[in-house]
Amino acid sequence: MSRRGLGHGTGRRVGRRLWGALVALCGLVGVAAAEGPGAGIVERARLEVAPGGKAFEQITIENPLGDVIVEGYDGTSILIETKKAAPDQDALERLRISLVPNPDGTVRISTTADGGREVRPLARSAVRIDLVVRAPRDARIDAAVSSGKLEVVNMDAGGELDTASGPISVRNVAGGLSTHSVTGPTSLAQVFGSVDAQTISSDLELDTIGGERLVAYANRGKIAGRRVRARHVELTTTDGGIVLEAETALHGRLIVASLKGDVEVRLRRQGPVAIRARGGKVDLGSATLVAHRDGWVHGQLGQLLSGSRPAVVELRSRYGFVQLTVVD
Amino acid sequence: MTCEHVQKRLTAYLDGELDGDRGSVVRGHLRACATCRQIASDEAALRDGLRQLPPVDPPASLWAGVQARLAEAEVADAKRPAWRRALARWAPLAPRYALGGLVAAAAVTAIWWRTHRDADPEQATATPSQVLAADTTPAVPATALAVDISADLAAESDRITATYAETAAELLALASERRHEWAPDEQQAFDAQVAALRSAIDDASAERPRHRAWRSLIRYLQNAVVRDQIALAGGAP
Repeated sequence: MSRRGLGHGTGRRVGRRLWGALVALCGLVGVAAAEGPGAGIVERARLEVAPGGKAFEQITIENPLGDVIVEGYDGTSILIETKKAAPDQDALERLRISLVPNPDGTVRISTTADGGREVRPLARSAVRIDLVVRAPRDARIDAAVSSGKLEVVNMDAGGELDTASGPISVRNVAGGLSTHSVTGPTSLAQVFGSVDAQTISSDLELDTIGGERLVAYANRGKIAGRRVRARHVELTTTDGGIVLEAETALHGRLIVASLKGDVEVRLRRQGPVAIRARGGKVDLGSATLVAHRDGWVHGQLGQLLSGSRPAVVELRSRYGFVQLTVVD
Repeated sequence: MTCEHVQKRLTAYLDGELDGDRGSVVRGHLRACATCRQIASDEAALRDGLRQLPPVDPPASLWAGVQARLAEAEVADAKRPAWRRALARWAPLAPRYALGGLVAAAAVTAIWWRTHRDADPEQATATPSQVLAADTTPAVPATALAVDISADLAAESDRITATYAETAAELLALASERRHEWAPDEQQAFDAQVAALRSAIDDASAERPRHRAWRSLIRYLQNAVVRDQIALAGGAP
């Protein structure tokens, strides 16, 4: 919603909230303390943002200068702890944190560094801003960092997480979750909702994932999953191997594919399962082999009755070893 | 004190930089010499006029230019071999130390000749060049010293885009290796999908949608290369 489009009442409410946030920020910055002269200057501040009427529904955080940790809790306000670190006061003053609460229940927190007046350029590695955000559990998190750590715990409305080279760590999160990293490792644990994860040159670790869909791609990296119980699972790598311990859902679909890596799947099944696999070498363990057709090895677990819809498992690696182990 | 001596010291006198005796001497001369007094008066008036001029902020572009030139100079300095930097520092003193240097060089040559006359000539010539090569390697990359944080942040999106582009190019190369296995209609579908996804990248105006479009292209290429999934139901992935 554009500011021009706001009514007078809404505008006043927004204004009051912004003033409140500003006053709180000024007060808190005032008590910020300098620490450790040998290690440069560290400035800490705390800020609480209360909802102006509508509960916070989405929190957008962009911090290219350091870590972001988001912790869900049972309150309604957003509590923000900031930590700025710089070699000297001039550099510290270039670091900016902005907070924009909107009347539609969204909040945007972003950080940047102003253009400096120093004669010598300020290296990016010399400064950092770390944010710890305690947020209402039912707010959706949309966060992006660069080389810092991005951690989200105890949230109930999912979100979208982006890093360039920093690690992504998610624990105990419900709702649709989408994560992307270029070279940072991604670790998702106790996620209950559809997951879409993608990395370019890093590993993906999945632990206790339950939801309708789990789609994960790693280009140059491996995927390791355990306690995966999504109805539709697709894991794809180009170079890295895939190790998965999963449970097939009734009528579910599990596709595990790599171009050059090995594929190892330990499967717990519910109901009948139709399997097809191809690879440099294929071992379907205790599954009943049915046929070899067009380069595929076909097998099954349990009785496939005509007209029934078994769960489907597809395992493939062009150059690697494909192995299926059935766990009873 | 002559007029010439006083006029040389007038600037320092007007700046209040002449201490006790020297200031007193200049002041005494000005009381007695009309010519010098007039010169001092003119200079004082000029300084007052300059002080009353409004302050002028240089345009931002000027400052950016200065910073850019400083950065360029630092990069050039960092790239210059250590021996050339050392030479530049010592060059002004060269004439003074030339004779001493010649004597020292002659002594070193004599010692070297006495100690190495039986050594392998190839080994003897290789070692100094290896040492020189090691010395010229900068400890810190020159760009890391010169790039300011604001420029670094602005360039981040381009670095990510470059990684995506490199990955897509690798996957396209893998796809082209497998292309002969595809039927003609699959090849056509592949080309059309790649063109559509590339067009989505070009059309994206903001950074995050553009990166999202790159990831869609990479995902599609991975599906094509790893899973032979070429034609997608419902268009772009």
